[in-house]
Amino acid sequence: MQGREFEQRNAERWREYEQSLNGMDSATGRSEDRVSVDPAKIPVMFREVCADLALARHRMYGMSVNERLNTLVIRGHKLLHRRASGTWGTFFQFVAVDFPVAVRVEWRLLLVASLCFVLPILGVVLIGFYWPNFTWIEAILGDKTMDSLDMMYGSSDRQIENLRSEYGSNFMMFSHYVYNNIGIDFRIYAGGILACLGSFFFLIYNGVFFGAVVVYIHVACSKEAFYSFVASHSSYELIAMVVAGMAGLRIGLGLLHPGRKTLAKSLMDAGRRSLPLIIGAALMTFFAAIVEGFWSARDLPVTVKYVVGIAGWILCVLYFVFGGRVVLAKKVRKIEGGAA
Amino acid sequence: MIPDSDVLKSKSGPFARLDTLQAIELAEGVEIRLRMAGPYARVLAYALDLLIRIAAIAVVGLIISLFGFILGSNVSMGVYALFMFLLTFFYYVIFEAGKRGASPGKRVMGLRVVDTSGAPITFGQSFIRNMLRFADMMPIFGYGVGLCCTLITKRFQRLGDLLANTVVVYDSLPVMTSGGLPPVVSAEAPGLALSREEQAAVVGFGERAGMWSEERRIELADHAAALTGASGKRGMTRLLGMAHWLVEKR
Repeated sequence: MQGREFEQRNAERWREYEQSLNGMDSATGRSEDRVSVDPAKIPVMFREVCADLALARHRMYGMSVNERLNTLVIRGHKLLHRRASGTWGTFFQFVAVDFPVAVRVEWRLLLVASLCFVLPILGVVLIGFYWPNFTWIEAILGDKTMDSLDMMYGSSDRQIENLRSEYGSNFMMFSHYVYNNIGIDFRIYAGGILACLGSFFFLIYNGVFFGAVVVYIHVACSKEAFYSFVASHSSYELIAMVVAGMAGLRIGLGLLHPGRKTLAKSLMDAGRRSLPLIIGAALMTFFAAIVEGFWSARDLPVTVKYVVGIAGWILCVLYFVFGGRVVLAKKVRKIEGGAA
Repeated sequence: MIPDSDVLKSKSGPFARLDTLQAIELAEGVEIRLRMAGPYARVLAYALDLLIRIAAIAVVGLIISLFGFILGSNVSMGVYALFMFLLTFFYYVIFEAGKRGASPGKRVMGLRVVDTSGAPITFGQSFIRNMLRFADMMPIFGYGVGLCCTLITKRFQRLGDLLANTVVVYDSLPVMTSGGLPPVVSAEAPGLALSREEQAAVVGFGERAGMWSEERRIELADHAAALTGASGKRGMTRLLGMAHWLVEKR
């Protein structure tokens, strides 16, 4: 059989298949196409076209037939392998099970990332309290930061609450925190691919900076104004930053330590394992931004805010220690039961 | 006796290809060939996306500055910050995880992001490959890391592609216009027993000949002088005749 004959013989079938694809593709599909499509027939037609392509290749029926069939097969492959998009169910599953489990699995990274963040804070705070010279704290913060710290926490007469009394300022600050803080998480993550150095740098840098802020507040501003403001959202924001660091370290390790895998496979696996961490971190930071924007600056008794803050820390610890354990245990029991 | 056709084989072996096709075997037992997109097309797509984003910032900024007073200055500043957040971090993520699998710039260039298996990518893959842009675009938005990485990997993958297990391919092939092909005078059987690869090369020459200038056709046909036994215009005509014979008379 010649190429042209092959083409003529199957043209009708290919046209039908192509029409079904057009109909299924809602992005370009016309409504009249969609009505006539029988989705159950597409896999059969797809396999027939696959066989046609193999035959055309083997018999070397020329470029135009081959290219046409190649395109048809690729389109069918894309259609059949389209994954169902996430539902609210997958979202809740992620929050309730996948995210805390992923953090527990990577407990070594949690340890390293936490230390990279907490040790600089402690170091700077201790040195700042016991070192008589204050200029280096000023050097870390810079004039602009010190001005804004003075503006927010300069005295104990509820400056933040007053700053936020204007209409819409809560929303503005919320958006600002979303842009700024989630952006920091993403940079910590992406920096990890540079052999972990980027993540280390951002974690340590932020640690030093926070330490300097704490020292400055203790020396020059109202401690109560500061702590009552940051208490409520501190847990989510700081833990999320550490988790973003974990995600970054994970991909950095994929590059540095492939183990017995090839480098490409190792990077691929690292990417997959880092995904729940960074998405979880971004969600947590988003939640922190809601709290920071709409709750933290409320004109409420200081004790209420401290209680909410402490409750937040306890909740976070409980969440990461116990989150998803019940579901996992059930799954294990199911598997064991099935085996027995 | 028909001489062996080794004369046509290059020294690097018959399967050392120069093209950017990647064969992927499907579960159906057939190979599809994806056409990998190189840095040039992708840089153009990036430039287009950049222009689109700048235009979007300008338009939204204008709307907010004109009608922002309805919401109040604080709220409109908040809306603007959220818009910037989405545009900075999720422009690519959302478009590439979508049905078309491509950002608007990529779509214009006919590109698409797919899994290395040829399947559409998930949201997670799109998220990873586009978050890693911040590493790929170093130093200072120059995409130096990304460019180096695409040049040393076989499938033009930057760091984000490697981690997300994705590749950028041509979605729709450019339509090939062939015209001005000299009419084939006579079909002619090749004087040698050609291997399948060689037959494909000769047939391919015949199919594409219309897209090249006469000089280019002759230049290419001269490489097959060992087969045609002639060079210059006569060699080219004979090669076209052989291509014709392989397609029609066999």
